[in-house]
Amino acid sequence: MNDHEKRDFQAGLEAEVDAFMRGETTRRTFITRFGQMTGMLAASGPILAMMTDWALAQQKLELADAGSPLGQAQAAAMKASMEGPADGSAFRAVEAAKAHSGVTLNMTYEAGLQALDPRNFSGPMWEQLTGMKSNVVELSNPDQYSKAVAEHIAGSGAYDVLDISPAWTPSLADGGVIAPLDDYIAKYMNPADLEDYHPLYKALPTYKGKIWGFFDDGDMFALYYRKDIFEDPKMVEAYQAKFNAKLAPPKTWEEYAQIAQFITDQMAPNIYGAGHFRKAGSPGNQFDFLQQYRANGGKLFGDDMKAGLVSDAGVKTLQNMIAANAASIPGNNELDAVSLWAAFLTGKVAMIYSWPPSGRMAANYSQSATAINFIPQSQIAGKVGYAVVPGNPEHATGYNKALSADSANPEAAYLFMQWACSPPVSLARCMLPYALRDPYRISHFKSELYGALFPSAKEYLSNLNNSANVGLLDPIMPGAQDYFLSIDRMCTAVWAGADPKASLETAAAEWNETTDRLGVDSQKAFYTEFLKLPGATADNTVEKLGMAVTL
Amino acid sequence: MQHTATISRLKAAGAPPRLSGLAQWADRHFKWLLVAPAVLLILALSVYPLLFSLVVSFINYDFQVPGHAFVGLKNFERVVFDPVARWSLLLTAWLSGISVAIEFVLGLLVALTMVRSFPGRGVIMSILIVPLFISPVIVGQAWTLLLQRPFGPTNYILTQLLGQEVTIGWMTESPWLYVSLIIADVWQWTPFMFVILLAGLTAIPPNLYEAAELDGVNAWQAFWAITLPHLAPMMLLALTFRLLDAIRMFDTIFIMTGGGPGTRTYTASYYLYTVGFTQFHLSQATAGSWLFLIFTALVVMLLVRRLLKTEPV
Repeated sequence: MNDHEKRDFQAGLEAEVDAFMRGETTRRTFITRFGQMTGMLAASGPILAMMTDWALAQQKLELADAGSPLGQAQAAAMKASMEGPADGSAFRAVEAAKAHSGVTLNMTYEAGLQALDPRNFSGPMWEQLTGMKSNVVELSNPDQYSKAVAEHIAGSGAYDVLDISPAWTPSLADGGVIAPLDDYIAKYMNPADLEDYHPLYKALPTYKGKIWGFFDDGDMFALYYRKDIFEDPKMVEAYQAKFNAKLAPPKTWEEYAQIAQFITDQMAPNIYGAGHFRKAGSPGNQFDFLQQYRANGGKLFGDDMKAGLVSDAGVKTLQNMIAANAASIPGNNELDAVSLWAAFLTGKVAMIYSWPPSGRMAANYSQSATAINFIPQSQIAGKVGYAVVPGNPEHATGYNKALSADSANPEAAYLFMQWACSPPVSLARCMLPYALRDPYRISHFKSELYGALFPSAKEYLSNLNNSANVGLLDPIMPGAQDYFLSIDRMCTAVWAGADPKASLETAAAEWNETTDRLGVDSQKAFYTEFLKLPGATADNTVEKLGMAVTL
Repeated sequence: MQHTATISRLKAAGAPPRLSGLAQWADRHFKWLLVAPAVLLILALSVYPLLFSLVVSFINYDFQVPGHAFVGLKNFERVVFDPVARWSLLLTAWLSGISVAIEFVLGLLVALTMVRSFPGRGVIMSILIVPLFISPVIVGQAWTLLLQRPFGPTNYILTQLLGQEVTIGWMTESPWLYVSLIIADVWQWTPFMFVILLAGLTAIPPNLYEAAELDGVNAWQAFWAITLPHLAPMMLLALTFRLLDAIRMFDTIFIMTGGGPGTRTYTASYYLYTVGFTQFHLSQATAGSWLFLIFTALVVMLLVRRLLKTEPV
């Protein structure tokens, strides 16, 4: 070491020692602190998870005023769960579930209003009854399937109860994502409670002879119209004079467009004849096309599984829809479901067809919940009539509760499902003002308590039941979302001016590609299974099969 | 003497504890330990997913088709021969090009206006950059509320201003739906251009302008001869960053048009999202992502090469 190097070494050593003496960071302290930081990072995950759990923890059981119809329904649900009847599905589920006290059930729900029921009502009540906790996993609609499949592939057992659209049942059942319930049903359920389902919904979770869930949301489209306009003597007289017919809720789609145009001609810009949710990506297009297309005699697939869209029925359907659009509120093609509700509730349109919450909102019942205050107050309460959608209404998706095949507590999960979907509990859930669960059991349609929710609730329930009697199901088969997407693209392209025939051909080509991708034979087998369901076509509705429910 | 002093100070501080075997090993490999977490993170979060996605693009990975059979180039073929994919790529280039060009011009104009001090400048600047901090989803929702018929006030205001009824379908009619998307994008991202270009403008030495003024150079000449050359690197930087962001355009489209009508507002990102997460054809979406990545990489390469070549005068 020469002098120069010695000086450098000495200077370096001095600096190190000075730093050490001053307590400044050295290599050693750096390693120590880095280790501490890594440890803290590792610990922060679980801490954050705990905080999240706390933040999203189950709410306290929210009960309505005991004297209100909802309060009475909730009390009845509680009583049926605790006291019986002893053979009731709710009571039996609770009794058996007590053995699983302390278990936490992870259940998927669509994010938003749908999840408020298990958070505020059914989850806390179930915990109170059985000691089982529930962890509500809120997912966007596509994630309700993608996450379920991904977790199944990973074998994580992340979920116990899955909320799924019936259209997904075949895919998820064949994929081993969900488990059949038959053995549990035989062991725990009162068979009469299965018979209490409206026939349109009863078979929905059935696939290849097994039951893959409990149907839990009667998403039946219905027509909601302004009675005050339809009964206005001046309007009645003018309609009679123009069309030599009585102004009444339409029975055909041509009549629907005609009445909508008539009202628009008479009352615009204050009130327009109709409104629809036609925005791209809002599911109104697919549901509306499917209901009208099949009511017009259209077939989804031919015997060779080629798309049947390019047909007279297809062209007629699109032409009817174009005519209805022309008769509707300006901006009709830009509306989604919520903005359509806003237009109807503020009195801007005379007719809409949509999901059942429309009726509850129109009566101002839903808006009693703060969670749903983004919907305007109804200015048409007491003025709304209910009718079956012309032809055959669409059962627009719905929900099944399904048991995850990877659940670590399948029996406990099943028992929750049985309890939540049992007649008294499901009634109380469907009556929640903020919930988007809609009546689906015969006992719901006949319920005196539901019938007392708002002045016209009995007519509303009756109309939902009548709609289900002639209702049509969405296709229940793999690729359903591809087929739906093609319809949505086709419709919105037509609304923007594309040729209906050419658009039908494009959609048909996309359908055929989807079918080819999934396998023609395989898809044919699924479609054949679907056609066996009541409501698969306009020729085998519940009513035409002689199974109509009369209240 | 110095050595003795140092040793005595060390003794006073106490002898350091003996290092264990592990500590000695850590001491020897200190530099590797330092970079290891970052390398592991990159491997876990970038390299592995990238390699896995490459594998996925050559197999069947579809939620509805059982198994993961090797399908060769089938997934790429599906994307290449899908007219919607080709359209979405074109639209991406077109929309991002126009949006960024407008943002650049407006950003430059605002920056030139704001480069000199005037009363209220701070407040105005604060207001101008607010859109940058808003989530694109909220921006989309806000513009939807403004433009959507029948509730949005835009057509009403235009009707009042023009004296004749305006019935534009801002989110359903061509070319207005593109105008709407560009307006929303320009509103949000012009401040980005403005901030970067303003930084560039303030970095130009003022003595250059003073000298130019003494030489009798007018404002336009000063802009061409001084501002533009000095600002060029910043301009290219702003354009590069913004363009890279703009070609990912998704959120506002998702909220404002839902990709419609038909597939008219499908950008590449929206197309990939739809294929992957609406239709669940994950392998096709992954193959499409690779193709999109290659196109993007080409653009990036060109821009970065140009950026590196640019040097201030």
